[in-house]
Amino acid sequence: MLVGASLFAASTLLCIVGYLALSVPGSWFGSLPTLRWTAAELAVTQGSGQPTADGLRVSAPGKQGIAIVSIQTSFRSAGYTAVAWDTADVPNDVAAALIWRNDYEPGRRFTRPLTVEAKRLLPITLADDPNWIGKINGLAVIIRGDLTQPMMIRGVEAKPMTAVQVLHDRIREWFAFESWSGGSINSRSGGADAQDLPLPFALAAIVGLALIIYVILARWRPQTIGPFRPLIAGGLFVCAWFILDVPWQWNLVREARATFQQYGGKSWRERHLAAEDGALFAFIEKARAKLPPPPVRVFMGADSLYFRDRGAYHLYPYNVYFDPYRNTMPDAAKLRGGDYLVVFRRKGVQFDPAQKKLRWDGGQALDAEILFAEGGGAVFAIH
Amino acid sequence: MEYLALTAGLMLPWLLGLALLVALGWPQAGGDSGGTVALRAGFGYCFGALLLTLWMRLLSAAGVAFGWLSIGMPLAIATVALLAFALRAGRIAPVNLRTAIGSLLWPPMPRWQRLVWIGLIGWLALRFLLLAVDIAWQPLYPWDAWVQWATKARVWYELGRIAPFVRAEQWFAGPGAAYFDAAPNYPATVPLLQVWSCIALGRWDDSAMNWPWLMLLIALTCAVYGALRGEGVAPLAALVGAYLVASLPLLDTHAALAGYADLPMATIYTLTALAFYRWAMRRDRIDAALALGLALCCPLIKIPGLVWALTLLPGVVVALMPRRGLQVVGIAYAVGLFALLALARTNVVILGYKLHADFDPGWRAFWDAYLLSSSWNLLWYGAVVMAIVGARRLGQPPLAPLAVVVGTGIAFLLFVTWFTNASGWMQELTTLNRATLHLAPLVVVLGALLWRELAAGTQPAAAVAPAPA
Repeated sequence: MLVGASLFAASTLLCIVGYLALSVPGSWFGSLPTLRWTAAELAVTQGSGQPTADGLRVSAPGKQGIAIVSIQTSFRSAGYTAVAWDTADVPNDVAAALIWRNDYEPGRRFTRPLTVEAKRLLPITLADDPNWIGKINGLAVIIRGDLTQPMMIRGVEAKPMTAVQVLHDRIREWFAFESWSGGSINSRSGGADAQDLPLPFALAAIVGLALIIYVILARWRPQTIGPFRPLIAGGLFVCAWFILDVPWQWNLVREARATFQQYGGKSWRERHLAAEDGALFAFIEKARAKLPPPPVRVFMGADSLYFRDRGAYHLYPYNVYFDPYRNTMPDAAKLRGGDYLVVFRRKGVQFDPAQKKLRWDGGQALDAEILFAEGGGAVFAIH
Repeated sequence: MEYLALTAGLMLPWLLGLALLVALGWPQAGGDSGGTVALRAGFGYCFGALLLTLWMRLLSAAGVAFGWLSIGMPLAIATVALLAFALRAGRIAPVNLRTAIGSLLWPPMPRWQRLVWIGLIGWLALRFLLLAVDIAWQPLYPWDAWVQWATKARVWYELGRIAPFVRAEQWFAGPGAAYFDAAPNYPATVPLLQVWSCIALGRWDDSAMNWPWLMLLIALTCAVYGALRGEGVAPLAALVGAYLVASLPLLDTHAALAGYADLPMATIYTLTALAFYRWAMRRDRIDAALALGLALCCPLIKIPGLVWALTLLPGVVVALMPRRGLQVVGIAYAVGLFALLALARTNVVILGYKLHADFDPGWRAFWDAYLLSSSWNLLWYGAVVMAIVGARRLGQPPLAPLAVVVGTGIAFLLFVTWFTNASGWMQELTTLNRATLHLAPLVVVLGALLWRELAAGTQPAAAVAPAPA
């Protein structure tokens, strides 16, 4: 066991040193603190921004919209080798760049492209940039592209990127809380969405190096470590597996706590009302009260795929029809008397109360009656 | 009271399957030791759950409404009858049960191993508890669960029978007796399990209906432990193998965010392959019957289950022809590859997947999904290394039949990813990981068996003989 632990420790040390040699852009040691500016200090100079509790919600109209978010700064670039924008929901197809000004050429703006990955802007290292010099008098990020769905900016940091900070950043990424999302069922990132060094890769490298050292020593220096024993090789792998399992178990603890806080002690109905689609559930509950008992045919329409499909789910066991993939409404000619239509936040649905005529998307008008309307949703009976 | 009823409802398939296996005297070798108990527990739940849903199908076809009386009572009676038969036939002795459970939870081992054993059991218990929190309280969450699986469960629960789900054009043309959802052609087993949970509970609850997913994960863990013990793997190593399966992050996620058919598919397919492997090693008819029964049920879980079941065929060939089997399978692969290349020049549609020569390896998707994301812990790193180090052993008895099954499964994944119109979904990671989930537990089992073989290769011959389970 001591042999395995020693191998693991030695390999870990070597891997850490190797990684730091590759990733620390400047000095390994330093005492400069990370400089951080919160969303409240940021200004939107182009596009539109809305302060929220979670950060600054930024959008820009048009397919080729431009949004610029800036901050006045005053810090010496020496020692600060990286800038990291804390962002979320950044569309993958936008172009983004960091802009800064220095006191050597106050009239010029310098830019460096930023990479978008996992819907976030990745930190950028500026140690090798000749214009990252002197006092930095301002930072900005420019986003060009379709920002009709807003992105979130929580702040920006100037980092010294010492060895300790690089390691701290990695550990923070690995242990970041990964809450359940729509993508959880397909894949798990293992901490932060974007990671400079995924933990599985790091541990695989550590185990791989440990095994190489072990095989070499067991083959050529058996007097130091003894002959090759598969138990040690297997043990190294299982230990690495367990180490990777610890953040996962910890994440499950936090997830269980979040689930319990949101839903614990509630009835089935209360849990649905507390869920992210609580407003839709409440609307469908009221709609069901207006509908005759199942099994009548009910058509569900909504602009949002989520609301359409989820609304249909809440309507079962009615005989529901919905388009599970596209925002289409049924052909009006296929509806018949005794059918019902439920719409939730669906544009293009028009009802004339005087004529009692219902039509959607400019199509054929049907004789109908409105049974219930509330909060962007309505229930119609087709005659 | 209702949760007591739900617990009874969840235990019923477990007891039914256990009673069936005990009555059959399966597994034959190994008596009532810990490995046998684990094997029976793991296979028992799966068989019980499948029998339950088959019974529900029968009731529905006969026009009998679903309910505690119509479903629970006959199955409970069958359970008691099977246990009584097993007792009379001497296939189970209550006096041995305590010894068996003691052997399962407290096998003899050195002190340091005992500490690891207790730690792992505790760690796994905590894992299952944490997953249970989400199952208990989280309203049905993942997308396909409520757009194509629970839709059927809700309708069938309320109607008390299976009603047909049809495609949109048939739905519009029909009189209104059939229903529609995003996947009307999907099999009924998974929704029927949900229906039974709600019947047991006494009301519709789309959280509580998902308890079978946790049961399946626990059953899979037990079955893997029992299967490894059955092949002579030491208790602690077998527990580590079971832990590696139970700690696969994506498998856990599918238990916590229950409602997809991938965890049930992974469990049934793994157990099918384990039963097949037992047959390949022992040539016991009951092993063969169980493997066949489970293989026939694979398409009842998911449509690709048919292909997963067929991946066993090359393994059967290798098991039946130990000398030439690998050559036969190799030639069949080559012919298959040639046929595939020919087919891929056309636009043939098989099982809804269009074959075409848009060969696109998508290595980046594999790299991201298998090696960089945390979906699989270190599974694929380990699998690659083991495949290289143990390549020779994988092609020899006793591992060859199982290795060929796993190899065929991997070939199936590569085929779907590279040659069909599913490649787009695969490369977006929406399907690749989920398709891989079906095979992943079996890869762990094969890895554990291979490691045992490699380790045994460096030990004296006496140490490699299979120990009693």
